Amino acid sequence: MDKLHLDQHISQQFNHELEDIRNRVLAMGGLVEQQVDKGLTALLESDGDLGQSVATADFEVNAMEVEIDEECIQILARRQPAASDLRLIVTVIKVITDLERIGDEAEKMGRFAVELAEANAATSYRKELRRLGDLVKSMLRDALDAFARLDVDAAIKTAARDEDINAEYQTLQRLLATHLMEDPRQVSQLLKITWCARALERIGDHSVNICEYVVYLVKGRDIRHINFDQVQSEFLSKPN
Amino acid sequence: MNTQTTTSGSGTSAASDAFDQLKETVGDVTVTDPKMCARNVDVFYGDNQAIYDVSLDIGNNEVIAMIGPSGCGKSTFLRCLNRMNDSIPSCRVSGDMSLDGEDLYSTSLDPVLLRARVGMVFQKPNPFAKSIYDNVAYGPRIHGLASNRAELDDIVISSLQKAGLHEEVHDRLDAPGTSLSGGQQQRLCIARTIAVSPEVILMDEPCSALDPIATARIEELIDELRQNYAIAIVTHSMQQAARVSQRTAYFHLGKLVEVGSTNNIFTNPQHELTENYITGRFG
Repeated sequence: MDKLHLDQHISQQFNHELEDIRNRVLAMGGLVEQQVDKGLTALLESDGDLGQSVATADFEVNAMEVEIDEECIQILARRQPAASDLRLIVTVIKVITDLERIGDEAEKMGRFAVELAEANAATSYRKELRRLGDLVKSMLRDALDAFARLDVDAAIKTAARDEDINAEYQTLQRLLATHLMEDPRQVSQLLKITWCARALERIGDHSVNICEYVVYLVKGRDIRHINFDQVQSEFLSKPN
Repeated sequence: MNTQTTTSGSGTSAASDAFDQLKETVGDVTVTDPKMCARNVDVFYGDNQAIYDVSLDIGNNEVIAMIGPSGCGKSTFLRCLNRMNDSIPSCRVSGDMSLDGEDLYSTSLDPVLLRARVGMVFQKPNPFAKSIYDNVAYGPRIHGLASNRAELDDIVISSLQKAGLHEEVHDRLDAPGTSLSGGQQQRLCIARTIAVSPEVILMDEPCSALDPIATARIEELIDELRQNYAIAIVTHSMQQAARVSQRTAYFHLGKLVEVGSTNNIFTNPQHELTENYITGRFG
């Protein structure tokens, strides 16, 4: 069963409920993506106002998580979903938890952007976050895309990119450590940038989780904590 | 039973294709410790074929749930397991069925003795118009399982205890069985089944006439009985199948589509028809 056929229940109402939940998750994903994008831009462009708006808007992400959670609980209680329907609800509950945490990381970046803009400090050092930021944004986008399209191949390939992110994060840490040694007056500002790098790296981890849930949803197999080569050989479709 | 009956909705062409292509059951039909084995069983009612080439083991100390839409053959299959279908003149069974390796349909096997070894509980509680005591004592009496009244008393009391009914009726064993509530009557029928020391208990929608509390009691009882018996239960309630069984078999239009551990069937069924049925989709 590679497709969920959400519109094929005998109960039309149930079709609507599941479709609605899926749409809400996609909307939440869109909002979270926007938050990350804005948080990063605020950091890179030293835009304190934008940073503040990201920090303020986090409540919207939180509210969406609570609403979707509530809807999932209602469906569990009233419909007792099974098989792919059950996997969808469980996946949604997990995906929105990761999305909410990504939202928190974006909020964190927003707050640091405000502080750094106010201090008008470490402007050049902040640019170092760009490459990591771009990697993370594209990974998050592709993870959400894999969820929207229930695309196992895309999910696995996207998850594999976490290695690039980790490598970039390590590089960045070394770089920031060098800056710290060279420019001790900037310690507090550089630490904030380190925290932002850490936030981005965590968003990568949450995106991996989302990819893993997509595999669970479509294939019914929990691939967390399984050797990645094994996952690839078992689930990646072979080229013709 | 009519093999043409379908209640599963209008049917998508994809699902009917999946059914047409079904050559063999998905999943392992065997168990490591089988009590009963069915192999390549076909059942006909006159010219109508009700069951097509079904093979399935029923394991010791396990509950196997048989699910599927009305007319899918699950009750017919269940009834073959203790030759209840013998009483229907037009019914013909082919294939192999055995209990502990002994052919169920062998001419040397007495169906009455078979039904003592493979007991059955029906959808509607059907106590005899006798006292509670006599309902339970009926089987042991006709099979000569007790040599005196004290032994018979022991059998009746222990059967009522195992069926979880003794505490509620111990002071009125002379009252008619029909005076009990629906749930109590069903437990009385289970006590009656247990009284002849069966090895297998077949249950055909045992809770469909009961309220949720009586149902919960029966389900709890089924779980306890599993320690000593092999149990096969036909149910229309998917939640009940999920709650009480260790294995689940899905029947569709007379074929056994899929069998597997209940955990897998309800979270990740492999066949599209199973998925459609348990999630309430057209199929």
